Amino acid sequence: MSEVLFGERELRAIAERAIRAAKGDQAEALVIGRIGSLTRFANSAIHQNVTSREAELRVRVVVGTRRATATTNRLDDDGIRRVAALASDLARRAPEDPTFPGLPAPRPIPSAPSAYVEKTAEAAPLARARAVKTLCDRATAVRMVAAGFVSTNVQEISVASTLGTWAYAPQTYAEVQIAAIGDDGSAFAQRVSTDWTSLDVEGAAAEAVGKASVAQRPRDLAPDTYEVVLTPYAVRDMVGFLGLQLNGLAIEEGRSFVGGKIGQKVTGAITLVEDPYDPRSIPRPFDFEGQPSDRVTLIEDGVARGVVYDSVTAHRGNARNTGHAQPFLTQPAPMHMRLEAGDKTREQLVAGVKKGVLVTRFWYTRWVHQLRTLVTGMTRDGTFAILDGEIAHPVKNFRFTQSYHEALGGVRGISKDLSLLVTGEQFGLMTSCQRVPALHLAAFTFTGATRY
Amino acid sequence: MRRDEENALVKNGRLDSVDRSDSFGFGIRAIADGAWGFAASQVVTAQEADRVAALAVEIARASAITKKRDATLAPVEPVRATYETPVDLDPFAMSFDDRVKLLMSAEARMRERKGLRTTRATYAVWREDKLFLSSEGADITQRITEVGGGIAAEAVGNGELQIRSYPDGLRYQNAGGWEILTRWDLIGNAERVADEAVALLSAKQCPQDEITTVILSGNQLSLQCHESCGHPIELDRALGSEAAFAGTSFLTPDKLGTFRYGSSEVNIRIDATSPGGLGTFGFDDEGVPASEGWAVKDGIFVGYLMSRETAAALGTRSNGTMRADGWQRVPIIRMTNVSVMPGTAGTLDDLIADTDDGILMDTNRSWSIDDKRFNFQFGTEVGWEIRKGKRRDMVRNPTYTGLTPEFWGSCDAICSESEWVMWGTPNCGKGQPGQGAHTGHGAAPARFRDVRVGVIK
Repeated sequence: MSEVLFGERELRAIAERAIRAAKGDQAEALVIGRIGSLTRFANSAIHQNVTSREAELRVRVVVGTRRATATTNRLDDDGIRRVAALASDLARRAPEDPTFPGLPAPRPIPSAPSAYVEKTAEAAPLARARAVKTLCDRATAVRMVAAGFVSTNVQEISVASTLGTWAYAPQTYAEVQIAAIGDDGSAFAQRVSTDWTSLDVEGAAAEAVGKASVAQRPRDLAPDTYEVVLTPYAVRDMVGFLGLQLNGLAIEEGRSFVGGKIGQKVTGAITLVEDPYDPRSIPRPFDFEGQPSDRVTLIEDGVARGVVYDSVTAHRGNARNTGHAQPFLTQPAPMHMRLEAGDKTREQLVAGVKKGVLVTRFWYTRWVHQLRTLVTGMTRDGTFAILDGEIAHPVKNFRFTQSYHEALGGVRGISKDLSLLVTGEQFGLMTSCQRVPALHLAAFTFTGATRY
Repeated sequence: MRRDEENALVKNGRLDSVDRSDSFGFGIRAIADGAWGFAASQVVTAQEADRVAALAVEIARASAITKKRDATLAPVEPVRATYETPVDLDPFAMSFDDRVKLLMSAEARMRERKGLRTTRATYAVWREDKLFLSSEGADITQRITEVGGGIAAEAVGNGELQIRSYPDGLRYQNAGGWEILTRWDLIGNAERVADEAVALLSAKQCPQDEITTVILSGNQLSLQCHESCGHPIELDRALGSEAAFAGTSFLTPDKLGTFRYGSSEVNIRIDATSPGGLGTFGFDDEGVPASEGWAVKDGIFVGYLMSRETAAALGTRSNGTMRADGWQRVPIIRMTNVSVMPGTAGTLDDLIADTDDGILMDTNRSWSIDDKRFNFQFGTEVGWEIRKGKRRDMVRNPTYTGLTPEFWGSCDAICSESEWVMWGTPNCGKGQPGQGAHTGHGAAPARFRDVRVGVIK
């Protein structure tokens, strides 16, 4: 493997030193290494170009039903001893928690396709800069400006515990995002690949520049409820919000739209699965407690089938631990969701709309009412009116206020191609990705508009 | 740079989590061939510094292949200086037991109320020590200390999930010591918070799609200011640097000094010297001293948040707003303390008494604004109808929406200094890779006319 990696041996040595140094009934160490390199551009020139190499150790110590965690990036012997002692001391002084089941016992971790590609790990600054130049040149050629980034990322995740848990996985991914911006309109494109040499930079440039060229001089369109075609960039937002509720903690706290509805119809004919083994995603077969991650069918043909759990929520909810703990253990989450493909091309989705709106991307989406999955946000970077099955003209951006799962109640078409998108980052660590299609929905409520 | 944090959450009678963390490392920002490069490492040795510096230069030279003009910086006098947040009660020196005891007591008091599904109490203590050196000769050490926390109660029933919190949605934070949290009397407010969460389940729905008068509480006005003034006055946004992500700004440079942003009641100050503010420091991460000035004066847009490079583009000097979220991030323009200055409307009770008809909205629950910071929609935890100068029935799911200059243009009263509080946003996201910033926003309750309320049917 590449010299840029910390490597399994080094991370395991750190983790084992940490759990040996901990003073408690049980101890767990999560060690994460990462190198993130991101070349950012705006006004068709690079303005931020950064790289950092980091590793971090989190130690969780359990004393009876008391527990605490401490985290450090000082990974020499003194740093490891110090963080273990700190977690041990906090755990001893923490109040008892009778609902805490202890650390999860180790279970076999199934094999998964590798998400590590050497050439991504070794991509050089000049290679990223050249990719940016390609993007900027494509925009400049049609008198537009380009903004966005090109990144290459390596990350290694490892978990060890005094119960015998050991899990390790290296991952790589490369990403390009571009907004092509004209005098009076813009458009967006994104590509993600585990393999830098397969990252479709030219395709992203062509999509953004081509769409931006027809996005100029948007017209007013009255806010109303319209049929919509959503590109994968917008669909990913819907799936992400639903994923926040498809977990054991959301059920426990009474804020999930599937609470008490497992086995019942909750959306239209969509199938949403959590698949950590999907070879076309960025697979990882275990969670941040080192537990094997299950494939979980969340929604099947519109019927709620299940949610994901970590060790604590599974214990409290009397459910199976599906292996979906997140790095900071705040709540479990699906981290490799796939909305299953349909049978339409994206052109056929548009062709199926009598009068509606094509949305490229949502922006600044926030809960308005969680239990109803009511979300507000804006459209951005390419919003178009559709008339009689054809793109008619660009329109000014809308504000929407819409229940996401109710919108999915009216699925009229699903594209047959899926896009891989990175969707979750926590403090620089990529935690989740999705593969999602474009959708044609019967009704989506726009509640306001802006002036551009 | 070294950062130390401790975060604790008490939930439903148990200590749900406590995490202590530290992070130590260095970053080097370099200009080579007229372009920028940045590299960072957590291995703090002379040999690693040489490697990282060379890498920053290599990255800068790669950046130069798309360069249109050389990076140019506005001048700053390099200084040797120190700064430290004034702290009465050092949160890292006190016992863990004392910190947790406050949360356990406040959370237990909320749980005395029947009908709640989830109760939470949190604290955050945070410290950053940093050394800034520049090839121009600056040598600056700073220690920033912050404390925050709060309580929240959730009730679920009848298809509703309602929340009340104190003092500000579990995100209240200020610069200073533990005294910040104790002065809010979390225990003394726990019963009221719990009662209001339960009452919201049976409260009437906020009026739908009506145009009415709205009074915003101070904490809600602080977020309104953050989103609709603080972000659009970031000069990097206005010049296009965030165009693909955080967005641009409707406040373009041609509007500086002439554009009517709000009514003549509206005065918004940029002040990195305000006591307690999350944007209070001695120097920014370019070595520019903390400064104060106006963003909006008598309703007119008059000032940006600037870096040395963006200031040079406008032919002026930086007002010191560049901050990095840790040693591994490049500094970018961030809000310091962007505050709505107090008016002359007296207390909140005085303002309500002066209002015939409207809705009082308190504590943010939902926030969204477009990529030019123009069209916004906010929701709050609770509202109360105002009729004939009196606070009347509680309403649930209150929301309001508008366009930034029209909204601020409809502001006709702001409460006086006695109601003014330095609120804060400890989780402001911007940049790629993502960075979180801590920003301060002083505000008092204020009244806005002809506002569209209610979007939940």
